[in-house]
Amino acid sequence: MTMAGRVLHAQLHLLDRQLIDQADGHLLGKVDDVELDLDSDPPVVSALFSGRERIPAQQIAEIDTAVKVVNQGLDLEHHDDWTERHIIDKIPGAGDATE
Amino acid sequence: MKKVLGVALGILTAIGGFVDIGDLVTNALVGARFGMRMAWVVVVGVIGICLYAEMSGRVVALSGRPVFDLIRERLGRRTGLVTLVASFLVTLLTLIAEIGGVALAFELASGVNYLLWMPLVALAVWLVIWRVKFSRLEQVFGLLGLLLIVFAVALFKLGPDWGQLVHQATNPHPVGHESWATYTYYAIALFGAAMTPYEVFFFSSGGVEEKWSRDDLVTARTNVFVGFPLGGLLSLAIAGCAAVLFLPAGIQVGTLGQVTLPVAVAFGKIGLAIVLIGVFAATFGAALETVLSCGYTIAQYRGWQWGKFVRPREASRFHVIMIVCLAIAVLTLLTAVDPVKVTEYSVVFAAMALPLTYLPILIVANDPDYVGRHTNGRVLNFFGLIYLGLLVVASVAAIPLMILTRAGQ
Repeated sequence: MTMAGRVLHAQLHLLDRQLIDQADGHLLGKVDDVELDLDSDPPVVSALFSGRERIPAQQIAEIDTAVKVVNQGLDLEHHDDWTERHIIDKIPGAGDATE
Repeated sequence: MKKVLGVALGILTAIGGFVDIGDLVTNALVGARFGMRMAWVVVVGVIGICLYAEMSGRVVALSGRPVFDLIRERLGRRTGLVTLVASFLVTLLTLIAEIGGVALAFELASGVNYLLWMPLVALAVWLVIWRVKFSRLEQVFGLLGLLLIVFAVALFKLGPDWGQLVHQATNPHPVGHESWATYTYYAIALFGAAMTPYEVFFFSSGGVEEKWSRDDLVTARTNVFVGFPLGGLLSLAIAGCAAVLFLPAGIQVGTLGQVTLPVAVAFGKIGLAIVLIGVFAATFGAALETVLSCGYTIAQYRGWQWGKFVRPREASRFHVIMIVCLAIAVLTLLTAVDPVKVTEYSVVFAAMALPLTYLPILIVANDPDYVGRHTNGRVLNFFGLIYLGLLVVASVAAIPLMILTRAGQ
């Protein structure tokens, strides 16, 4: 299986890896599943899945010990945002850096 | 100069931060029952934690990936989940014990019942987590924990028969009415106390919090190879004190007051004050480490944003986990369960969770994708494998022995 000319072992190099926002380094979830395009020869990775969110291959920026993605048009931080709005932001000092 | 100071500070922090409620209680308990006949377990445990902490430190410095990232990656989602549940529950149990320990230290100092102190302690732990910078909280409680050196000084002051202690240490077997079953049970407990899983979770996640890179490799290694063994000496001193004071009288240790008593006998009120501050710092510091580790394990398994290097709102789920864990700790302790008993169980359960925690570290420390050319050498792998074998044996034997000895009675 190749991607941008690189041979990857899906189980070893993609599944369960950390997803990172390429722009700001935020942690976005894990690679839960991999979508393959079996029509092409050799088969290529066409998307990654994290939870229900589908991340198209074009938005994968870098695959290293973690997978960096372009976080545009994706809703990977939905639950974190919900928790932030409904719980954490109600506590004073939630937006302060620690001292 | 600044570099030297940084390394020295790191070592001191590692020494002071090594001892927690599990080490305090288990070492005193074992010292009172078996004398120094179990000293070898502390030595074996310290070497083990050094081996694996160095590996996890190296992986994090070179790849930026903390331990639970590796566990999920190498064991997969399902086995990873089993590991998560086991190590999270053990860490939560340890957190409960640490908070109980802090409250007990306050009770000993003030005479006010620990149940009244306990919610305040939990609140204080949360406030520190919420507001104080990572490096600062680690240093303050690590350095203050150094006061526990008073156990070593007390051992000299008590003027023990050193020949007797050495004789015990070199005759590692049960004597009197103790059986091999109880001896092995407490050996596993002591091993679990020295190698508790949260130590590597905290150590490696701390590497990310403090943004370690290749340059910090030396610092990380010195902390481990100098700081941890010296911390282990503190453990031995605690056991030694109990061996001198309680073993000849046939008294068993079951309270935190008894753990600190040898120092009070040696130095009176001043000694008691010092040791109580030391116990407070060690347990409070460990409460911070364990509650953070509760957050680290779940967040890293799920890939959520975590860490104190971002503002709380950016890692909202991580902070919610910690708040919930503290609430569970308070509720559990309010049932008036004995924190010392919780501690005794937590170290045995820790021993059970060890193999699954340490296996992925060994695998990844051999993977050039993560550590480049800094993979384990043959010698390191040889010892790593021996320890993995030991961890499996301890893990498998823990429950049968717990039943057989009725938890060491």
